[in-house]
Amino acid sequence: MAVMTMERSTSRSILPTAFRNAGVDALAMIAALVLAVLAIYLFGNAAMQRVVTYAAIMLTAVLGLQMFSGNTGIVSFGHAAFVGLGAYATGILTLPAALQRTALRDLPQFLAGYEMSFFAALVVVLVLAVLIGLVTGTPLLRLSGSSASIATLALLIIVYTLLVAGREITRGSQPFYGVPREVGLWTAVAVAAMAIAAARLFRETSFGLAARAAADDERGAAAVGVDHRIARLAAWVLGAVAAAAAGAMMAQFLGAFSPKDFYFDFGFTMLAMLIVGGMASSLGAFTGVVVTVLVVEVVRRFEGGGMLFGLEMPVLFGLTQGVLAVAMILVIWRRPTGLFGDRELNLLRRSHAKAEFSKLEAVPARAAGGSISVDRLSRRYAGVVAVDDVTLSFQPDSITGIIGPNGAGKTTLLNMIAGDVTPSSGTVSVGTSARQASAFRFARAGIARTFQNIRVFPRMTVLENVVVAARVVEPGLAAAEAAARRELARMGLESFADRPAASLAYGQRRRLEVARALALKPRFLLLDEPAAGMNAVETAELVSILAAVRNERHIGVILIEHDMRLVMNLCERIVVIDRGRVIADGTPGEVQNNPAVVAAYLGSRTARARQGNDVQ
Amino acid sequence: MIAQQIINAVSLGGVYALLALGLAIVFSIVGLINFAHGELMTLTGYALLAALIAGVPFPAAVLLAVICAAIAAVAMERIAFRPMRGASVTSLLLTSFAVSGLLKVIFQNGVSARPQAVAIPGWMTGAFSFGDFTIGVGPTISIAVSILALIALEFFLRRTVTGTAMRAAAEDFDVVRLMGIPANRIIATAFLLSGLLAGLAAMLWVASRASVDPLMGFTPVLKAFIAAVVGGLGSLPGAVAGGFLLGVIEVLLQAMLPAALAPYRDAIVLSGVIAVLLIRPQGLIPAVRVQRS
Repeated sequence: MAVMTMERSTSRSILPTAFRNAGVDALAMIAALVLAVLAIYLFGNAAMQRVVTYAAIMLTAVLGLQMFSGNTGIVSFGHAAFVGLGAYATGILTLPAALQRTALRDLPQFLAGYEMSFFAALVVVLVLAVLIGLVTGTPLLRLSGSSASIATLALLIIVYTLLVAGREITRGSQPFYGVPREVGLWTAVAVAAMAIAAARLFRETSFGLAARAAADDERGAAAVGVDHRIARLAAWVLGAVAAAAAGAMMAQFLGAFSPKDFYFDFGFTMLAMLIVGGMASSLGAFTGVVVTVLVVEVVRRFEGGGMLFGLEMPVLFGLTQGVLAVAMILVIWRRPTGLFGDRELNLLRRSHAKAEFSKLEAVPARAAGGSISVDRLSRRYAGVVAVDDVTLSFQPDSITGIIGPNGAGKTTLLNMIAGDVTPSSGTVSVGTSARQASAFRFARAGIARTFQNIRVFPRMTVLENVVVAARVVEPGLAAAEAAARRELARMGLESFADRPAASLAYGQRRRLEVARALALKPRFLLLDEPAAGMNAVETAELVSILAAVRNERHIGVILIEHDMRLVMNLCERIVVIDRGRVIADGTPGEVQNNPAVVAAYLGSRTARARQGNDVQ
Repeated sequence: MIAQQIINAVSLGGVYALLALGLAIVFSIVGLINFAHGELMTLTGYALLAALIAGVPFPAAVLLAVICAAIAAVAMERIAFRPMRGASVTSLLLTSFAVSGLLKVIFQNGVSARPQAVAIPGWMTGAFSFGDFTIGVGPTISIAVSILALIALEFFLRRTVTGTAMRAAAEDFDVVRLMGIPANRIIATAFLLSGLLAGLAAMLWVASRASVDPLMGFTPVLKAFIAAVVGGLGSLPGAVAGGFLLGVIEVLLQAMLPAALAPYRDAIVLSGVIAVLLIRPQGLIPAVRVQRS
């Protein structure tokens, strides 16, 4: 325990390179914003200042949306609702008491007469946003993918209905007016700057990493111990806070507003801004807001009709919405990741070509002990028995091969041992108190795995892929980064650290998946066809790496493989499965001569013939 | 009174069910949540209006309008979504979102931002009575149309090759393509069906309101999204169940809520929906999907 705390304090002192890189990026974006605003402040007129103030407020809102949607991959319509709630809360808290008595006669006593300053109200609103974020996020984020998106839409409708129906507090669908207009250019810019820093840094935190990993591959993320619900909730709450801050400013910027100002059209505008710039990065949100505000400002001049290139233009309704829609369609068609959505600026990473890699060092092994025992395990799929009453145990510091014909139930067995598939009956014990089959708990309990179809996180860098896993067992991000670099070096991938994982070749991705699994400091490593699709050289490399890893760290390796030479050379014990049952279990020599195995692989007639040959 | 409320509930539920079913068919095949589904409804309304103004008799005008919806749905797929084939679910969703926004602007400028009255024949707004009960003709027609449409769809999906292929595609599109069924035909049929269903729903919606406006499809389709999610996104029986459930709850709450709480109805209904999803995150009748390790 004492060692743990010491380790933690030393790792805290070094800022992880990811944070340093993010900090520099955030400062660069803030500097660009401040310079642009300064130019407008010095040389622009009042109307231009208002446009820029509006843009800074929208930037805060869109960054809130980006923090959630960009990291989790779930499109949210609900952030418009948070902006609305922030606006109304600020309106009520800052309204002058005299005006409040006339405008809101039936306001409940506990809400009346605060007459706060903007910043005091902002603090209250942000605290409220955290609470509302937690209350709404907990149920919503049980859903995944498109269902979650629709649920955020439901949230938007609920909030809109409440704002319209709560007439005593909000004046219903009539305008809420008389809010002091104290938010000017510099307040908006200051809050936007904070939002930029928050959004840019959040994606590098362990929550941000975990949310992005789960967005790229949910099963892969669970396999490295990521609890995607907590990560998504964190992103949701933080996004809600930024959106509510934008709402607070919007209230004091507009002075008067009504619920429909924060309904579907507003949500559409926020999303369009984010999509045009690119959802996946704070840079995308930043450029998206800048570009769309500029375009909309130009278009707005023609909305009321007028002359364009000598042609008379008719009066057009909702032209800005139309232009946003077209911009969105064009961007999605031509550049699905948005104008700048692919990556962050990464200024620091570009200037320093390579980060230092610690040389191979002894990896502190996890407390040894604890075997895996599988007791009377079965799994049925609608009439098919994939695994049938299997009882086995696996020891650490050994290599076991699981072989068997196609469809024998090998992967199902492995999935159950990894906690990824719930057994129909029987138990898997991995030496901890993980109550039920749950991949991320099993992973945290020291069961790491790879998949038959590789499940790396394609949009994250190679280093980030491994950091996600390392962060589960390391005390801090700096320590996780060091551990991740060590594992990458072990697998010979250190020169690819800053490349997106999608750009790796097939064999490299396989090795990345192994590196990621090893970063969990597992007691057991489960490999599902690690050599599938690899050529002879790559396979030989893999075999030597696996043998070395096992010798260094004394972990138990369980692998499914069809490459018999690999299995026979590497494994000390071989379990043969056919039709869901264990038909042989022993050393490679024993298994090779087992007639039942030969029959399962080559057919019973060949088996008999071979037996005959053996006798001769 | 109670009978009247039940009829209203079932008729509203029927409209939601038709819309949710259209959304579910498309979602199950291409993974697209079609936000522009509401604009198909609006378009149908305008087509009916145009046909009536042109002097087409009412039944023919209705038929024409529904066919328009089906064609528009197929055209939408061809123009907006086919270039996106294979894109992520998020890209598809956002494309449809943008298409929806664009169509709304086109309706507002091309027709009018104001609601346009539609001349609904008098017999449809009447009522007939059984002893003490007075039952509206409109809701009765609505229920009959919904049920007939559901039966016809069921027949199509069970008894025809394309229908069977579509059910298979909903579970595993890749395998269906390997069986030699052209993907374009399946997808076009899915949109055609969703357009037909949206067209029917639009007719029922217009019949009860006697006007068309550019945002007509917005509210019912929002409700249909929710119904589809409650039922289990991509599950056809789920969409129908979700649609009827939502309609029934809405009407019953409308009838039972005290006046002070009535404006909060939508918030209460949707909170209930989220509560259902807490217990069953995959919906009431989850869709079946293959999963490969």
